[in-house]
Amino acid sequence: MGEIGGFLRIHRVGFDKRDPRERVRDYKQYFHTQSEEELARQGGRCMDCGVPFCHEGCPLGNPIPDWNDLVYRGDWRRAVEVAHSTNNFPEFTGLICPAPCESACVLDINDDPVTIEQIELGIAERGWANGWIVPEPPATRTGRSVAVVGSGPAGMAVADELNRMGHSVTVFERDEGVGGLMRFGVPDAKLEKWIIDRRARLLEDEGVTFLCDVDVGRDVSAAELRERFDAVVLAIGSRVHRELEVPGRDLEGVHFAMDYLYQRNRAVAREEGRPWRAAEREITAAGKHVVVVGGGDTGMDCISNSLREGAADVKMLDVYPELPSSGRPENTPWPLPPKRTLTTYALDEGGERTWNSEVTALEGDGDGRVARAHGRRVEGTSSRDLRAVPGSEFALPAQLVLIAIGFSHPDHDGPVRDLGLDLDARGNVRAPVYATSRPGVFACGDARVGQSLVVTAIAEGRKCARPGRRPLERLARLLARGRAAVLRALAQGLGDDVNDDPVDDQPQAPEGDDQTDGDGEGARGEHRREA
Amino acid sequence: MVAEGINVLILSDREVGAERVAIPSLLAVAAVHHHLVREGTRLRCGLVIESGEPRETHHMATLIGYGAAAINPYLMLESLTDLRQAGMLGELSQAEAEDNVVKAIGKGLLKVLSKMGISTVQSYCGAQIFEAVGLEPELVARHFTGTASRIGGVGLDVLAREALERHARGYPRPDSDLLPVGGLYQWRRDGERRMWDPETIALLQHSVRPNGNGDGDVSQQTYDRFAHLVDEENARAGMLRGLLRLREDVRPVPLDEVQPATEIVKRFSTGGMSLGALSPEAHETLAVAMNRLGGRSNTGEGGEDEARYGDERRSAIKQVASGRFGVTINYLANADQLQIKIAQGAKPGEGGQLPGHKVDRYIARLRHSTPGVGLISPPPHHDIYSIEDLKQLIYDLRCGNPRARVSVKLVAEVGVGTVAAGVAKANADHVTIAGHDGGTGASPQSSIQSAGVPWEIGLAETQQTLLANDLRSRIIVEVDGQMRTGRDVVVAALLGADEFGFSTAPLIATGCIMMRVCHLNTCPVGIASQDPELRRRFAGTPEHVVNYLMLVAEHTRRLMAGLGVRTMEELIGRADLLEAEAAIEHWKAGGVDLTNVLTMPEVEPGAPRRRTEPPPRVLDDALDWDLIAAARPALERGEKVGLQREVHNVHRAVGGILSHEIARRHGSAGLPEGTIEVEFHGSAGQSFGAWLASGVTFTLRGEANDYTGKGLSGGVLTVLPPDGHPYLAEENVIVGNTVLYGATGGRAFFRGLAGERFAVRNSDAWAVVEGCGDHGCEYMTGGRVIVLGRTGRNFAAGMSGGIAYVLDEDEGFEGRCNLELVGFDEISADDERELRGLIAEHAQRTGSPVAERILSRWSEYLPRFVKVMPHDYKRALAELAQEAAGIAGEGEPALRE
Ligand SMILES: Cc1cc2nc3c(=O)[nH]c(=O)nc-3n(C[C@H](O)[C@H](O)[C@H](O)COP(=O)(O)OP(=O)(O)OC[C@H]3O[C@@H](n4cnc5c(N)ncnc54)[C@H](O)[C@@H]3O)c2cc1C
Ligand code: SF4
Ligand code: SF4
Repeated sequence: MGEIGGFLRIHRVGFDKRDPRERVRDYKQYFHTQSEEELARQGGRCMDCGVPFCHEGCPLGNPIPDWNDLVYRGDWRRAVEVAHSTNNFPEFTGLICPAPCESACVLDINDDPVTIEQIELGIAERGWANGWIVPEPPATRTGRSVAVVGSGPAGMAVADELNRMGHSVTVFERDEGVGGLMRFGVPDAKLEKWIIDRRARLLEDEGVTFLCDVDVGRDVSAAELRERFDAVVLAIGSRVHRELEVPGRDLEGVHFAMDYLYQRNRAVAREEGRPWRAAEREITAAGKHVVVVGGGDTGMDCISNSLREGAADVKMLDVYPELPSSGRPENTPWPLPPKRTLTTYALDEGGERTWNSEVTALEGDGDGRVARAHGRRVEGTSSRDLRAVPGSEFALPAQLVLIAIGFSHPDHDGPVRDLGLDLDARGNVRAPVYATSRPGVFACGDARVGQSLVVTAIAEGRKCARPGRRPLERLARLLARGRAAVLRALAQGLGDDVNDDPVDDQPQAPEGDDQTDGDGEGARGEHRREA
Repeated sequence: MVAEGINVLILSDREVGAERVAIPSLLAVAAVHHHLVREGTRLRCGLVIESGEPRETHHMATLIGYGAAAINPYLMLESLTDLRQAGMLGELSQAEAEDNVVKAIGKGLLKVLSKMGISTVQSYCGAQIFEAVGLEPELVARHFTGTASRIGGVGLDVLAREALERHARGYPRPDSDLLPVGGLYQWRRDGERRMWDPETIALLQHSVRPNGNGDGDVSQQTYDRFAHLVDEENARAGMLRGLLRLREDVRPVPLDEVQPATEIVKRFSTGGMSLGALSPEAHETLAVAMNRLGGRSNTGEGGEDEARYGDERRSAIKQVASGRFGVTINYLANADQLQIKIAQGAKPGEGGQLPGHKVDRYIARLRHSTPGVGLISPPPHHDIYSIEDLKQLIYDLRCGNPRARVSVKLVAEVGVGTVAAGVAKANADHVTIAGHDGGTGASPQSSIQSAGVPWEIGLAETQQTLLANDLRSRIIVEVDGQMRTGRDVVVAALLGADEFGFSTAPLIATGCIMMRVCHLNTCPVGIASQDPELRRRFAGTPEHVVNYLMLVAEHTRRLMAGLGVRTMEELIGRADLLEAEAAIEHWKAGGVDLTNVLTMPEVEPGAPRRRTEPPPRVLDDALDWDLIAAARPALERGEKVGLQREVHNVHRAVGGILSHEIARRHGSAGLPEGTIEVEFHGSAGQSFGAWLASGVTFTLRGEANDYTGKGLSGGVLTVLPPDGHPYLAEENVIVGNTVLYGATGGRAFFRGLAGERFAVRNSDAWAVVEGCGDHGCEYMTGGRVIVLGRTGRNFAAGMSGGIAYVLDEDEGFEGRCNLELVGFDEISADDERELRGLIAEHAQRTGSPVAERILSRWSEYLPRFVKVMPHDYKRALAELAQEAAGIAGEGEPALRE
């Protein structure tokens, strides 16, 4: 453990953000990485709790107290190993995880939590910088092959895991680069893309094949993949947008946020000499009055991009009411992630957020281009009890309107239809224990659980590769099948019984309401950085 | 081989490899041991085990207990090399590190041995004083022959599977050489199941707090989720009660016909967690909650702040543990229940420890000790070596408070039923059976994992033995040990419990998050800390505890309705409403046989299976009633009263009830010294002058038995030989053994010799005696003892406070004194004044020629006195003096300005 009583002497030192006026002029990471000494000091605040809630709060179950201690003692090399024992890509989560571990940290009860995420990032970056993260191709190959559709964090994680077990993995990606929403949604200010490339290259060196620019369902049918490979994993994300149903939606200059973010990320790629695709119809915020509909993180990323493009002004409309910016609301007690309103990195840079406001109509300039957004105030706290306030109508100049109110489910065309997969009540691919209704076809990530987080996507990918139970329980069942089964399993290691007895853990429809998640996303990626 | 004359067998698992799976070392040792015993060749050879497995005290203890004469824990030793290389051992050399570990294990073993009452490893070796929990009878009969195993359990096949499974984690070599953390001591997601995990802790906390929706149902739902998790999942995997099922084939009754929750909670208490272990804030929160509910909170060991006596913060149960810290007459007088703690679930026999850094001024005041000096509760009660002694202590406590129930807390272990029957016969009102899964984070790790048995077993045995001996109706049976849900309560009631003790769960309700750092004083939520900064962080309220226990009681009611039972009275002892759970998932549970637990002894129809009547009255013939009547003017109006009485050895604890009357009326201050003076003649029974309160002076001409002056609480006690005695008083024993045990104040003068264990655990009494037996001043933490003659061996063992002055005429004292914690000091001028004053008082009260001789040739005698001074005490006094000087110093500049 760290220092006894260390938390009483050492204070939390959060992310060191760059000056907003400076960073808004580039596409670089918006904060500085901490020094080794500071990270070690911060690691010393960890109390090595008897019941480490952080470890439970992290969807990956990261061994946080263990790595905190190693960092505190300066044993970075072991820390790198420990971090990779539960997380394939600690550099991704270290950068853009909303860190539910930190809201669950015991120190969050009455103090400031350990800077777990920064430590995680520090560990990963140290691992890379010191050349400790090197290709470790599997010693033997099983001769089985797997096709993974989609190269987001879920697809990358499942590919990594399966490859380590010795299976031959090919990842099909319709975009020109791997990473899914991490590449095309998340701006470089949060996650510079060479970081994804670095990891993808490592996976390639270990034997994973990435085939970009292949749209499964168009360029190759899913059924064909099913035939050519021993197993197919769908990690296609949850990409169908929620629609804004108001008059004027068809006007020019009204777009889904994702279309804009894709273009902006491609523009940066182009500038930096990475592969990119030209847009059919360019969306730009330069010099315009921009209105962002939806107060979640996608909206924030739109603000940050619009400001970098030189928008005249950016207004964000959020239907939900403002929440206190600190403290713990009673309905999200520790160790749950608290519902609070924080000033995000994007709003630090500019832009303006209005609460309790909804868009009622979009008005054109006569030439089919959007010119004004009409809205009104609403009252209420959840999507179920929102009421319009009479006489509160307003209008805003709007030359670009970006719709960032979330995604509803994965694409039902393409592979899902090709393979005739069952869906769950919310339209996600039904795959209890990751096996879909088609034998040999698996699903994980946002495609299975609906839109969530990078950390959940990685966890999904990992579990999809080793579904079911803990080794101990699995062995029990193997024993029931007889001695031969045990010996076979022992020879292979106990991890790779992909087609194990299913336990139903298909996620349930969410019970709580989606307060503040203007686009159903909640505050992600940086919520802790404000502390 | 043994037949061939080989006389040392070495069992080794060094050859484990891809093809070879290690047999659990204990199984190997026990199997070979018992095989040789059966062959009749066991005595011809020694058994040595060389294994990678043993690494903890408990491992070593069991290996030795099953016959290993030597152990080579090679992997444990090699791990030290590893740790050293990783730089985790600082500057330690390999040899030093190995030395330390071996020493630590040795100490642990010593504790284990001493708690079993065994003094040499030779006699422990092969003694197998264990109870197996969860092993099948055939396996036990063959390889652990003679070990008690009451609930059956797994057999060789399962052990083999587990061995294979462990092996599979190492072969083939996994990609990473990281070992799983395991989670035995610290919870980990993939580790061992624990009683509390993040989910259950969070759900419990959420269920008792406002949830922001203003919705009472939310609490209920959250509690239900909590209870569901605990009952169905955790319990099934780890707890015996999880293997029991409530019968469903009975006619339910409507819920509204079941006794209200407000009645049920009156049967709840919180466990004895001491102030010192808990912060005052946390401790008082529990007390207030229990008082509001009509239940009972427990002081735990170590006294209670008198400021709490008058109000809601008072603990109804006052504990009397072996340390007797803060057990004054006023403490006793302010109890509803007095609990003699024989052993506690988590730490049987190990006594309690309070590290010096937790003993701040407040704690020190309550315990009548010195801030900064660590406190050890000796493992045994020095006044209980037999059930007769226990009966005496129960009697003494009854005198100290005739209105309070007297309870005995036992740990559930083999034979607890018999002990409980003894407790009932000793006239206790109440017995607590504490299961093995309780305990705080301060308990030594080896105890948390492997002491005692689950309460289900202990409780069932207790119930059955009490019924069989027709004692059940006169004693209240309480169960204590990780009660968490209404289902736990119902199962316990069905197995025979009248009352229910909760420890961890109420603390969790107030915010405890099971840090298991209670002993470090760094509890971040201010529950188990004395640090003012951390205490400020405590955010628990009595409502949290009240809400939680009400939820538990409501849950209890619902289950009662399902069982067709309307009142707790009807529920208690109905083991027939339980049955063994058929579908038990965890493979270890297969083969468990619960018949023993579920047996209901035949009793006459209508004979009660619960407590229905109080124990026999024992105080009616006490001498004190007469004293109280005669002392009425003093008690009521503070007038001086002088009495003369005969005393006989049937009169026990004389002065106890009188002192109770004083404390009840006048609190701890009592009456001014000498208000009630009684001169006795004769031979007093045990515990003469017990708890004697301030304002009472007893002078006995004659002699007194064991336990004289037990818990002396400010009174003055003198014993001198009758006039005209024909012998030399300074050569004869005048008071028995264990005199002044746990005294907290007052003065005592004995004209003659005392027996063994004089002034053990004295914390503030001043005493003069003319010689004493072995173990004088053991574990003393305060006060003064003057011995004007020879002491026995082992004087001052474990003494951490107070001062003893011993007249060392034959210069042999050094050899009789245990110098582990104490040293000999210069007698300063202040000391001299103190010493001389006390000897003068001794001379005056007893007319002792010994004292007179010393006084008359003072300068000659003074140098022969040895001042016995505990090191810690000296250090702490110096620090306190410095602090006082520092405070004065800081003030100075301000004065000058
Ligand atoms: C703007 C934005 C910002 C976000 N910020 C954060 C953040 O800061 N922190 C955080 O934790 N989470 C954030 N998220 C959420 C997070 O990015 C996603 O939850 C996560 O990427 C989901 O991973 P996935 O692998 O399941 O799906 P995706 O990342 O959506 O990946 C799916 C992949 O499948 C490919 N694909 C789909 N169909 C086909 C097909 N037919 N053939 C071939 N390829 C196909 C897609 O091109 C894509 O590459 C953000 C999301 C958005 C939109
Ligand atoms: S992945 Fe996210 S939740 Fe897990 S440790 Fe890292 S920052 Fe915390
Ligand atoms: S909860 Fe916080 S303090 Fe506790 S182990 Fe985790 S990081 Fe450390």
